Amino acid sequence: MRKKILIVICCLLSALSLGAKQTGVIKIGCVGPITGDQASLGLDQLHALQIAVDEVNAKGEIIPGCRLEVVSLDDQHNPSQAVAMAKRLAADPDVVAVIGHMNSSCSLAAAPIYQNARMAEISPSSSNPEISRKGYDTFFRTCATDDIQAPQAAYFAFKQLKAQKVFVIDDKTTYGKGIADEFKKEILRLGSSVLGHQGIMQGEKDFTPLLTKIKALAPDLIFFGGMYPEGALLLRQARSLGLIAQWLGGDGIYVSAFIDLAKEDAEGVYCTFIGADVSSLASAKNYLETYNSRFGRQHIGPYSAYAYDAANIIIEAIRKAAKKDRQAVLAQVRATKDFPGVVGLTNFDEKGDSTIGFIGVFRVKNSAFEYVGPAKQ
Amino acid sequence: MSPLETFIQQLINGLVIGMIYALIALGYTMVYGIIQLINFAHGEIFITGAFIGLAVFGALPGALGLGNLWALVLMFALAMAGCGLLGVLIERVAYRPLRKSPRLACLITAIGVSFILQNVLMLIWGPVDKSFPVFFKHSALTFGAFRVTFMQSFIVISSLVMMLVLHFFIRRTMLGKALRAASEDMTAARLMGINVERIISVCFLIGSALGGAGGLMYGMYYNTITFHDGYLAGIKAFTAAVLGGIGNVPGAMLGGVALGMMEGLGAGYLSSEWKNVFAFLILIILLLRWPSGILGKFRHE
Repeated sequence: MRKKILIVICCLLSALSLGAKQTGVIKIGCVGPITGDQASLGLDQLHALQIAVDEVNAKGEIIPGCRLEVVSLDDQHNPSQAVAMAKRLAADPDVVAVIGHMNSSCSLAAAPIYQNARMAEISPSSSNPEISRKGYDTFFRTCATDDIQAPQAAYFAFKQLKAQKVFVIDDKTTYGKGIADEFKKEILRLGSSVLGHQGIMQGEKDFTPLLTKIKALAPDLIFFGGMYPEGALLLRQARSLGLIAQWLGGDGIYVSAFIDLAKEDAEGVYCTFIGADVSSLASAKNYLETYNSRFGRQHIGPYSAYAYDAANIIIEAIRKAAKKDRQAVLAQVRATKDFPGVVGLTNFDEKGDSTIGFIGVFRVKNSAFEYVGPAKQ
Repeated sequence: MSPLETFIQQLINGLVIGMIYALIALGYTMVYGIIQLINFAHGEIFITGAFIGLAVFGALPGALGLGNLWALVLMFALAMAGCGLLGVLIERVAYRPLRKSPRLACLITAIGVSFILQNVLMLIWGPVDKSFPVFFKHSALTFGAFRVTFMQSFIVISSLVMMLVLHFFIRRTMLGKALRAASEDMTAARLMGINVERIISVCFLIGSALGGAGGLMYGMYYNTITFHDGYLAGIKAFTAAVLGGIGNVPGAMLGGVALGMMEGLGAGYLSSEWKNVFAFLILIILLLRWPSGILGKFRHE
């Protein structure tokens, strides 16, 4: 009797293992800062990908015998960590494509790894133009680039905010220095004077020496190229020193966490964003509702919709490729035409940049970002 | 702003952060003075103070809201008590068993404790920046064009008070006398009937409590804290202790203020990008001139 049971169990086990072999997995990598001061950005990107993948899996297998899976890795917005994580994804044969990295410095560092692995990488937020100018045919992005954002921010500062004397601060990262340099070039061309341009260290807390110096120069606008943790600290310290200049930032401070950290000092701050006001788009309605019910409205980030579109572009490419093959998926991503996403119809130019290229301006009002309009009317 | 006013403002900025460095530096210097250990876990104890303060604030009933003096007193009391006990506990568990081991073993243990604390903080409070409540709005005393915010004056005054109390304690009380004796010669102190182990515990208690108070002020001043904030602040405070003469209590106070001001002036007049480089460069130059710090270790002959 005991023997019989054993045989039955063995049969069952082998049947199970056979079954497991038939339903394979196709993995999509997701890399961003999911710990550390910029964790809210990385987690938001992960949420977006999870929503997209769950929607597909709910309908069944994406291609016969395969279901989708998410592999989430943490690059801590640190370029060397980004390279290590990219190598890990490249070494996993089940991973066919990647969403991320979020920070330009990380995308720039990791791009060669994906290039060698022939894996498509779509970033929802890396806006530094250099990344796509290096000739990698595996890099794509759904957001606009800083060579569009920064000049339009300068145009807005000059025309709408009437900035005549400007001080520029950046955080010395690929993104921050890139956008600050472009901004400075354009606003000088428009005819404003730039009183100075200084860098700060990421992770530093005390900026009062620099801000005291800026106060003595009395600019009427301060442009900050960098991310929200330092942006909020700079702003609070500036206001406590009595530095009342207008404040304009790039998309790095267009995060609700910026308002949480800067508190009442955030009121009246302007920022540009490498995309539109997603909450006003009819095409985004379903996505925003799904997101709110699953993760809560407070967690949605600026690049959420861009990450969701990037995820769906990859999913669509896998479906069209109809096999677990990086090269085939890459070819399908490249062939994307008029993809009807949440933020509009996405096309990639020959460099891999999205052709939407829309820059919106926001202002903090009553502790929330309020859409002002396109940067360039 | 005139150049002079800007200069004064830069000095004030440096003084405020320097006071916080000085409070942390006291913990380094007191411990070093008595057991010649550089307690690398002190930076983490410091930032734990900020986290405890934040937790206390979160747990307070609604009536004790912002702007309530008692809320502030309670936060400081519990942060200092918590950090003090944490310091004593660390000494008891991690350093005392190694009292007779080579000094290097203790040093490595201290680094280990620092990593453990940092990760415990991350596990408890999460990896994301924590926002601090605003106790003092930007209201400030203005003198001409430069201004001192209430928060800044609060930091300077309360640090000064704590340092004076400490100075009085070390110079004027029996326990302080015992502490000085133990730091002078541990064996002789023991022969005189001083319970040296207890003195070491007292040392950790006071140093860590001061560090915790510094951490809470740090959190209130910058309004954001993260689990790894203790690292850089700890290194800076250690530098301040060395600058003033490690093992020397007034030296740590002087070193902290000097370092804060050097940083402020360097970042303000040269370049903010090279703030840390400038501070450490001055440190190297000063140490080449006075290898045992500005005040050196006080020695009775």
